[in-house]
Amino acid sequence: MILTIARREWQAAFLSPLAWVLLAVNQVILAWIFLRVLEAHSGLQAAGRAASLTQELSLNLFGFAAVLALVAAPLLAVRVLSGELRDGSFELLGAAPVRLAEILLGKLLGLAGVISAAGLLPLFMALALAPIAGLDLGLILAATLGLWLTGVLFAAVALFASSLSTQPGVAAVAAYGILVLLSVLGRAGGEAVSLFEWLSWSEHLYGFLLGMVRTSDLLYFVLLTGFFLALAHRRLANRRLG
Amino acid sequence: MDELLSLRALTRRFGERLAFVGLDLELMRGEVLGLLGANGAGKTSCLRVLSGNLAPSSGEARVCGIDLARSPLKAKRHIGYLPERPPLYPDMRVGEYLTYCARLHRIPEVRVAGAVARAMQRCGLEGAERRPLATLSKGWRQRVGIAQAIVHEPDLLLLDEPTDGLDPVQIRAVRDLIRALSAHCAIVLSSHLLPEVQAVCSRVLIMSQGRVVHEARLDVEPAAPRYRLRTAGPAPPGLVGALGAESAEVLPDGSVLVALRAGDSPAALAERVMAAGLGLAELSPERGDLEAVFFAALAGEQAA
Repeated sequence: MILTIARREWQAAFLSPLAWVLLAVNQVILAWIFLRVLEAHSGLQAAGRAASLTQELSLNLFGFAAVLALVAAPLLAVRVLSGELRDGSFELLGAAPVRLAEILLGKLLGLAGVISAAGLLPLFMALALAPIAGLDLGLILAATLGLWLTGVLFAAVALFASSLSTQPGVAAVAAYGILVLLSVLGRAGGEAVSLFEWLSWSEHLYGFLLGMVRTSDLLYFVLLTGFFLALAHRRLANRRLG
Repeated sequence: MDELLSLRALTRRFGERLAFVGLDLELMRGEVLGLLGANGAGKTSCLRVLSGNLAPSSGEARVCGIDLARSPLKAKRHIGYLPERPPLYPDMRVGEYLTYCARLHRIPEVRVAGAVARAMQRCGLEGAERRPLATLSKGWRQRVGIAQAIVHEPDLLLLDEPTDGLDPVQIRAVRDLIRALSAHCAIVLSSHLLPEVQAVCSRVLIMSQGRVVHEARLDVEPAAPRYRLRTAGPAPPGLVGALGAESAEVLPDGSVLVALRAGDSPAALAERVMAAGLGLAELSPERGDLEAVFFAALAGEQAA
């Protein structure tokens, strides 16, 4: 059942121009960053370089791809839930013998499909250099995994925000609000700094971008994704109770 | 006949506002129940609760003996639901949409194609398999909406204003479809139009401000059936004797409301009218009680 719903979401995303436009814009921006990294690494300032090409690509290309995912995830997710609640098509799922958890997991999996496609863009660009530049493939794959997990977390946050309102615009603003908050949390000072740092996604993605696949980072993404899915589940269950 | 829907004191509130209260009902296979009431009377909320989209505030709803609140997944397998706005995805085609609906209702994969073809055939959608839902007219969208509700051959079919916004030809087609479907399942349909309910329902609940104000069977003739009679000329005095009726009352519009004696038939009445040389212009069954209750309910709704 989860796969049935995921397939439908995946199909809907690629039947609308939105996913294609997002992918195209992503590609243009990432290509620009890619060329700048190459320029900095092999151009006139090459003597001053401090990191390997793989590290430069990982931190700049994959790091910026995560920021683009932050922009794209709410746009994709509001159509999936908020839009359906607004135009009444969610009643189809509500009346079908399907659990709310299955609906949410199916929708998240569908979004994860689109995010996977976006995550492949920096991977392919980096791999294009592999035959001539001797890249560290392990590091590139770790960065791709980190980027994908970050994208799925963003989708879960956006799904939760999408469950809050039947107005897609309001849901998108709520999603951006939560995501930006999660981005700046790590910059908080004071005694509670370690907790805030732990909550911030960028701290955990950074490990992946350096080529470290740590259980603690994996757990962070799984736990926070699960947490926001649980909130969305709670919200949809409350809608039934009214 | 087996009992497919049973409601006990079913109530739904939205905070302080009452959607409907104390609904008690038993519905058997083959019955078509009409929920009749003005807009805002609680019909749609009632159908949303029965479909599992809303939880009841109190009371119990059983579908095929299964408690909808305790075992929603099991109960929903027996329910087909057409909401007020057909829940369509504009980016899909008719065939793939119905296939998706069939899978959502957990029809085994080997039977999906057959179920979709059967639903399309019953709703007159043959040949429309590849048409995008976004390009369909209102009538076609409604038909696809009904097809998704019956694709899994439910025991209980819930239709929220199924003919709303359709043209007369489409209304007739949907009515014929509802009659055909009622042979296999129980149907609850909502409407704010009395003729609509009279045309297809065997029972009616008139709702006003969330309460049932009248319940009647439409498939049994009343003890003294009444007919509205219009003669070619003005109604003559002493009409009761001439017609051999139980009573005859001349209405302000010139027509006569005739109550037949037990064992009498409208055909015999028509013959007597002709024999008396009155000239028969119109003879139609009168459901004045229902109409009076409905308009009283409407008046109460508007006064509130």
